[in-house]
Amino acid sequence: MTDTKKYLIEIETPDGVLVTSEQHELANTKYSADIELPEGYAVSEDGAVEQPVERTETEEPLAENKRNHLGLKVSRTITNTIIHIVLIVMSIIWLFPFVCIVFESFRVESTGQVNYIFPKQWGLDNYINLFTNTNFPRWFLNTFVLGLAVAVIQTIIVLAMSYVLSRIRFNGRKGLMNIMLVLGMFPGFLTLILLYKLLSGWGLTASGGLFGLMLVYTASSGMGYYVSKGYFDTIPKSLDEAARVDGATRAQVMFKVILPMAKPIVIYTVLMGFMAPWGDFVLAKYISHYDEAGMNVAVGLQNLIATNANKSANYTTFCAGGVVVAIPITILFMCLQKYYVEGVTGGAVKG
Amino acid sequence: MATVKLTDVKKIYDNKVVAVHEFNLEIKDKEFVVFVGPSGCGKSTTLRMIAGLEDISEGTVEIDGKVVNDLQPRDRDIAMVFQNYALYPHLTVFENMAFSLRLKKVPQEEVYKRVTEAAEILGITQYLTRKPRALSGGQRQRVAIGRAMVRDSKVFLMDEPLSNLDAKLRNQMRAEIIMLRKKIDSTFVYVTHDQTEAMTLGDRIVIMKDGFIQQVGTPNEVFEMPDNLFVAEFIGAPKMNIIHTQLVKSGNKYCVVPYGTKIAVDGHKGELLASKKVESQDILLGVRPEHIVLTAKSNPAAIPCTIQVNEMMGSELHLHVITDEGGESLIVRVPTIDLTPAQRGAMISGAKVYITFESKVMHFFNTETEVSLLTDKENVPVAQKGEAPVDTREMSKEELKAQKKIEQMKEPKEKKGK
Repeated sequence: MTDTKKYLIEIETPDGVLVTSEQHELANTKYSADIELPEGYAVSEDGAVEQPVERTETEEPLAENKRNHLGLKVSRTITNTIIHIVLIVMSIIWLFPFVCIVFESFRVESTGQVNYIFPKQWGLDNYINLFTNTNFPRWFLNTFVLGLAVAVIQTIIVLAMSYVLSRIRFNGRKGLMNIMLVLGMFPGFLTLILLYKLLSGWGLTASGGLFGLMLVYTASSGMGYYVSKGYFDTIPKSLDEAARVDGATRAQVMFKVILPMAKPIVIYTVLMGFMAPWGDFVLAKYISHYDEAGMNVAVGLQNLIATNANKSANYTTFCAGGVVVAIPITILFMCLQKYYVEGVTGGAVKG
Repeated sequence: MATVKLTDVKKIYDNKVVAVHEFNLEIKDKEFVVFVGPSGCGKSTTLRMIAGLEDISEGTVEIDGKVVNDLQPRDRDIAMVFQNYALYPHLTVFENMAFSLRLKKVPQEEVYKRVTEAAEILGITQYLTRKPRALSGGQRQRVAIGRAMVRDSKVFLMDEPLSNLDAKLRNQMRAEIIMLRKKIDSTFVYVTHDQTEAMTLGDRIVIMKDGFIQQVGTPNEVFEMPDNLFVAEFIGAPKMNIIHTQLVKSGNKYCVVPYGTKIAVDGHKGELLASKKVESQDILLGVRPEHIVLTAKSNPAAIPCTIQVNEMMGSELHLHVITDEGGESLIVRVPTIDLTPAQRGAMISGAKVYITFESKVMHFFNTETEVSLLTDKENVPVAQKGEAPVDTREMSKEELKAQKKIEQMKEPKEKKGK
């Protein structure tokens, strides 16, 4: 170390006081530092260290690298090809019935079932028949109204349920969730007879079946909280806390912070609620009890071909009905697909 | 604007885990208090109890003389900055900052005035229309601070606000918080696990461990006069060297004998020991790495060591050395400015150096309680030995299975039929 020198340190405070002190100096620094090098080492004046020489062996670069690289490319191409072939075969099998139904609906040469795919004569007769000679408009309207009502009520219940289960800790929360999980495992058919008795007692079957169905669909909607609770769980709790510190009540947290962020799951829930009545058959059939005023599309269309005689007269009309039903749902799906996928997968990706 | 007083505050979680024990602290108006400690020491829990985000199991929290135990966070008039920013992703920066004002139904022009003022101070005016996801970490943190600023609240709580930033940005933001603090002029409670942040920001530092306050003091006090070994080791980086040795009293003179070298304890520290009538005993001697100096072999107080690792930090070298006697490892900080190139080059692994230190940099701790021999305070938390590291939990079936599998790998598998 260099020789120790003494300097005075002067510090002027903001109000003009001058503080003078001797430089902090460690007494022991009067000894210069001794450093002893290990054996065989030497150090020059400019600090370069000379090491004792050790022999090192250089390794041959791997010649295999290039081949490995090529092999990887080939195997990836093969895998991709196989995957694509499998997917194409699967989609053909899957799409076949749908394509058949569309073809059938345009067939005019006969109305019954046939053993060929492509119609010999194309036309819109079946569609005209559907809207003029059957109760289809009524069923369609029934289902549409039912869908809207279920969508609204179910969304409110499901979102409230999910928010509570995701955010608020209360006694019995775990138990409640377990009970709902177990209840969900029982098939809905088990309650059919009981439901029918109950609803018929209130006059909500046959022509009043629409309200009966609405009641049944929405009553148990709280059980469908899983997906949206999972989504809410991925929204950081610190956002709630920040909002609460910022002055928000629980309700304000829900409406101003959580819901705007959970748009995909709200849309998913609405979509699910809207679609349920279009596909339901067993319960709807039971409750409508052969009264056409209380039927949804699925039951109504099935009713068209319920007997063998009807089947040969109405089969192509039935197919046309199927196509018409698919249209609104398909459009809805295409518009909202982005949110739907986000809603289902959001929880997994965001973490 | 406001004082915060915590009296016998205790936090017991549902699973009977006590996170905070009898926490007593009075935070003065406009004071900047930092809670610091290793993770799980209860510092964040305490802050969250002040904020109202955690229930208070026992004791009282007063803000401005009013007990707030049963008040909702929104009624406590506090502002809080979170570690992960907690910005509302669906709102623009402006709306994020205006959120609390809108809830309070503050008139439009007032909202505009306050938000733009805060944005001006924080230098985020050009980002007001952006959504948080389009901002960098530092900008997000500024928005989070801005959101707290516009509220004009009594107490400003910050929960590790800088720990998600990279080192360079953290230094910059730290300096900004110091400047900001002068502008806001409010009471601050700041939680961090980083002792540098605590030292640079706090008027007073509260050092915590396992739910107990270890020491409360100014940065100077906790650095110069740590009450116990934990505080001594926690404050300062690299951490203090601890040497098991004896304090020897002969007449009115004291000396310590680290690694067979006798170093006199004279000056102020010697007088203090004498005034406290400390007897000869085994002690833990604490010396900070920056207080150890290199010296010559001929110095009677020299401790011979061998360099193990030499870390070049730029302005200083961190030498990890092994003492020749005792074979214990110490860290020495050597300023590079005083070294010749030859000296600097010679400090390689395996080289022998001689170190020493003076009495005024020594800290003395009781080997049992780990409390400083020089402290005047009573009730200094005593070290809890042999409690923490023992894992008494029984292994689950799955873990036992995994353990068996690992043990089987020890021996090479014998082929069947042998």
